[in-house]
Amino acid sequence: MASMRALRSALILALALSAVACGGGGSGRGLGPPPPPPPATNVASVIIDPGPSSTSANTLFASITVCMPGSTTSCQTIDHVQVDTGSYGLRLLAPVLTLMLPVETLAGGSSLAECVQFVDGYSWGPVVSADVNIAGETAHSVPVQVIGDSRFTNVPANCSSTGGTQEDTVASFGANGILGVGPFELDCGNCDTVASGLYYSCTTTCSETTVPANLQVANPVTRFATDKNGVIVVLPSVAAGGAANVSGSLIFGIDTQSNNQSGTQTVLTLDGNADLLITFNGQTLANSFIDSGSNGIYFNDSGITKCVAPPNDPSSQIVNFYCPSNTLTLGLAIQGMNGVMVNNLTFSVGNAQTMFNSNFDAFPQLAGTNPITGSFDYGLPFFYGKRVAVAVEGDTTAVGTGPYIAF
Amino acid sequence: MPLFQSDAVTRSDAFKRAALGVLLIADFGPRIASATLGEPEVTVQTDVARAHASIKSLQDRATYRVHEIQLPSGTLMREFVAPNGTVFAVTWQGPTRPDLRQALGQYFDTYASAPRSKLADRRHVQIQQGDLVVQAGGHMRALSGRAYLLSAIPSGVNVGDLH
Repeated sequence: MASMRALRSALILALALSAVACGGGGSGRGLGPPPPPPPATNVASVIIDPGPSSTSANTLFASITVCMPGSTTSCQTIDHVQVDTGSYGLRLLAPVLTLMLPVETLAGGSSLAECVQFVDGYSWGPVVSADVNIAGETAHSVPVQVIGDSRFTNVPANCSSTGGTQEDTVASFGANGILGVGPFELDCGNCDTVASGLYYSCTTTCSETTVPANLQVANPVTRFATDKNGVIVVLPSVAAGGAANVSGSLIFGIDTQSNNQSGTQTVLTLDGNADLLITFNGQTLANSFIDSGSNGIYFNDSGITKCVAPPNDPSSQIVNFYCPSNTLTLGLAIQGMNGVMVNNLTFSVGNAQTMFNSNFDAFPQLAGTNPITGSFDYGLPFFYGKRVAVAVEGDTTAVGTGPYIAF
Repeated sequence: MPLFQSDAVTRSDAFKRAALGVLLIADFGPRIASATLGEPEVTVQTDVARAHASIKSLQDRATYRVHEIQLPSGTLMREFVAPNGTVFAVTWQGPTRPDLRQALGQYFDTYASAPRSKLADRRHVQIQQGDLVVQAGGHMRALSGRAYLLSAIPSGVNVGDLH
């Protein structure tokens, strides 16, 4: 608790300092109260709420505005786009998109489509070009995926064979879109040379294809004019039992403006998968990650009581969450590829059933079992009460070169 | 029916052996199902041929045999074979999933239609439907998972070691 209080104090101090910085340089014009400072152009508001399908917890949302390439008037603002530091690129659900954005074409004139894979399924749709605006930042003509587009209804067999659920509606997706602002530029590391099952060339039918890097779906931040070397997620501390409608900030750029300085943050560099090492219960787990797009703390500890499915819903997936009768506080250490280790961190595991029974949607103590071996998946709860920077691969800041995470 | 004996399989060896696998498939023809999980070990070769992949290694462990299959996408797939010759588990790790319709065979539809978590979640899969267990995690560009048949796991095998 002492460290949480210290963090909160530090956060308040940081906010106070940034407010001073924003308010500085006043013109000293006339009498009366000074006008409020304009919102910083590199700060977007974010919120944690149940989302458009009312099925979300620990899910961070922002609003973005997409425009026809080159236009500042033919635009649409879309709310509840999930902010995800564990993926790359903007994807929008076709049912909420009224703007007819132009589909990217490959040499030869065929249309470009993508079968994007999430852990639990796939989403199919064309790659379009859009100007993406968020806060005061703009990415011009960036490739964006439109999921569930009525112009591309035939999902290729090779796409559906990757398995899981087809997620092409707001209800199945749980968001109106997803904004992947993780530490890489592209959603595929080798699709310019290998037809790896993500990108498809479509005429009357679609077939797997390689695709030049400039047409691949890209993290829009990397295409901003400035403030493009990463993002900082700032969220307040959340009460142990949870809270409703928590709001925070998504700041663009690291060490590019007065409000995104690294200061004394600790830099942990990431490996080629954007993973790092987390040591828990004496085991170092090499496939671990910190990820705003994961809604809990997922790790394996056979000593913690799991939740029980209710009699009227015997197949409930709640059995994959932890339900200790008393809140547990556990220790862990996080280590970057640069060898820097942060020791003596603690996290708490609460009763997931109690959380799901509440009317809250932000849960710092929501934890469950990790489906894969050698992994500690530290999702959005990590970000509460912190200022977490995610630097893009190959980009430099005052304190390091991406890919890294700093806090 | 050990098709390969060596742990150290060179690229050219792997190519020759994959080619041999194709011949075997041609020989067996229609008798070979296009599935792997729950099917005989020889279907591993079907996977290799269909995916334009290469056998990276073959390891004999105490209680099972592991085929490592390197897919062109960069994903590494492993198929675990019990002493009775049945593929009892399939795992994957890499930027994309393998063709799970191929790898899970008759169990694919069970997996694809299994009830989802009521909580919106794109990061975790933990499914048990009868004999089939599918577990997957990770994030974009680094997806991991495994599928196995509870009844087919050889005694003494720790599921957590299958990755």
